[in-house]
Amino acid sequence: MHAPPIPKPFDPMSVADDASPATATEPVIDIRNLSFYYGDFQALKDITLPLNRNEVTAFIGPSGCGKSTLLRVLNRIYDLYPRQRAEGEVVIDGRNILDARTDVNLLRARVGMVFQKPTPFPMSIYENIAFGIRLYEKLGKVEMDERIERALQRTSLWGEVKDKLRQSGISLSGGQQQRLCIARAIALNPEVLLLDEPTSALDPIATGRIEQLIEELKGDYTIVIVTHNMQQAARVSNRTAFLYMGELVEYGATAKIFTKPTKRQTEDYISGRFG
Amino acid sequence: MDPLLPVATPPSNPDGGDFFGKSRSHSGGMRRSTDVFGILVATSAGIVPLVILALLAFLLYNAWPALHFNGWGFLTGNSWNLGNQYGDLVKVRGVEVLPGARFSILFLIFGTLASSVIALVLAIPIGVGAAVFLADAVPPRLRNSASLLVELLAAVPSVVFGLWGYVVLIPFTARHVYPLLGHVLAFIPFFGPPTYNGYGLLTSGIVLALMVVPLITANMREAIAATPAALREAGLSTGATRFEVVRKIVLPRLRLPLIGVSTLALGRALGETMAVLMVSGNAINGLPHNVYSPISTMAAFMVSQLDSALQDPSGMAVSSITEIGLILLVLSMAVNGIARLLVSRTQPR
Repeated sequence: MHAPPIPKPFDPMSVADDASPATATEPVIDIRNLSFYYGDFQALKDITLPLNRNEVTAFIGPSGCGKSTLLRVLNRIYDLYPRQRAEGEVVIDGRNILDARTDVNLLRARVGMVFQKPTPFPMSIYENIAFGIRLYEKLGKVEMDERIERALQRTSLWGEVKDKLRQSGISLSGGQQQRLCIARAIALNPEVLLLDEPTSALDPIATGRIEQLIEELKGDYTIVIVTHNMQQAARVSNRTAFLYMGELVEYGATAKIFTKPTKRQTEDYISGRFG
Repeated sequence: MDPLLPVATPPSNPDGGDFFGKSRSHSGGMRRSTDVFGILVATSAGIVPLVILALLAFLLYNAWPALHFNGWGFLTGNSWNLGNQYGDLVKVRGVEVLPGARFSILFLIFGTLASSVIALVLAIPIGVGAAVFLADAVPPRLRNSASLLVELLAAVPSVVFGLWGYVVLIPFTARHVYPLLGHVLAFIPFFGPPTYNGYGLLTSGIVLALMVVPLITANMREAIAATPAALREAGLSTGATRFEVVRKIVLPRLRLPLIGVSTLALGRALGETMAVLMVSGNAINGLPHNVYSPISTMAAFMVSQLDSALQDPSGMAVSSITEIGLILLVLSMAVNGIARLLVSRTQPR
């Protein structure tokens, strides 16, 4: 069931990554004094937040609190929109990725992202996964096949799709599509996986499978999940960050946030008094 | 047939019992004006299908002698011959015509299709490229004005395109481009010399291409812009560049809309008259030898030959021109119908 972690064939940012095996508390992403603007509107206010390696961190908070915005800074996907800008620092392996010189394509190959609605590409299941790999690596057919099988096994999709790899990715069910998207992301051997409400468009059974998958992946990847579902945050994450109106209200071990929050707002939110 | 027609049906009980009578005394004026409005709207909506039917009936009626006289040979021969205008009318297959009259238009069908296909071959890559550029590469501030420019190009009267082709394109290509092309591409069949004087198939294709590019660009730009943002973001988040996302994820989804839009453009090119008339060379009774040869198209030919056809006292020449019109109408309607079907059925999921 548990495939061994996929070896890393290349390292786009190659700074301080050859350090000894990661300890559980080493921050892999260090967010420092981050502010974010949509035009004139400030959506994030001075966020400072270290994200630990090989842990699951959940961002929770009411709609519009900035949790998705924060996630979208981490792979600079907001770059697509000219009126959006970030200030502050997001340090990955000693480098500020907000720096204009960052190669955002390499960054995104290394910080994978899965979206609210499944986004299979208009191509076969096989090609969906091969797409990203081909952008950065030249693999022979055998190696490519192996790589794709491993990614599909990792997301427990292999058994369901191994006989129809040439069929369109769009032909799969919603839950399968979402697992395909996760397989597509991990096939690139990213260090970090960003999940933006990955189950909000899925039924409870498909949601359960995704959560189980997150559980299985967390030893090998640093996972950041945005969710509006507090039970989900409580179930899958090691740490939780509660955001409200663009500010980080509270951040800490999930068990503590959900049982003994220190801030009144956090308590009100998790107990369902608002949001 | 017509979704608006039911509006015209009179109220179920216009002169009904007391209740209707009473209510009419209060709001009668309003009720009546609503009915009048309904009838007006329905009439104007009903005019459209009626016009099409009337047009078809007119074409069929006037082309009937020609259909009878020319038979299927009309589509397969290359001879447009009014006959001896000074001879007496003779009876052939039960209809009176000038002696020696023969009408067939394979060269027109070929010229029409070939020039339109060349136009599409040139216009599709340019149109799609421009659409990608407008949707993705132009800074958002300039996007609307740039798109407006493209749409303005669609508003240029075709005679202006024709004039440009006549004054600028033909002398230039005949002197500088076609001789070179004929030399370099001589190994491709139909691309070798002679390159003639610039009036011809390729020039018609180029002018037609310019006329349909805006159609393709405007439609494809909309389709590209309608691509879900999440799909683009998903492409980018696998580390692909914006260009790779467009080429490998956005455009492949738009294959069917592209086919639809291209068919629409084909319909436009098939029926284009004025611009082609001015640059095609108006060849008659023969198929082109190569892409530089003069041609004529059905639409252009109808205009250029109507005057001399009116000299035929038997009326057969005009009837045969009407037959060309009938064929062109059916062809265009079929192509447009297919295009609409493709475009409407294929809104990307």
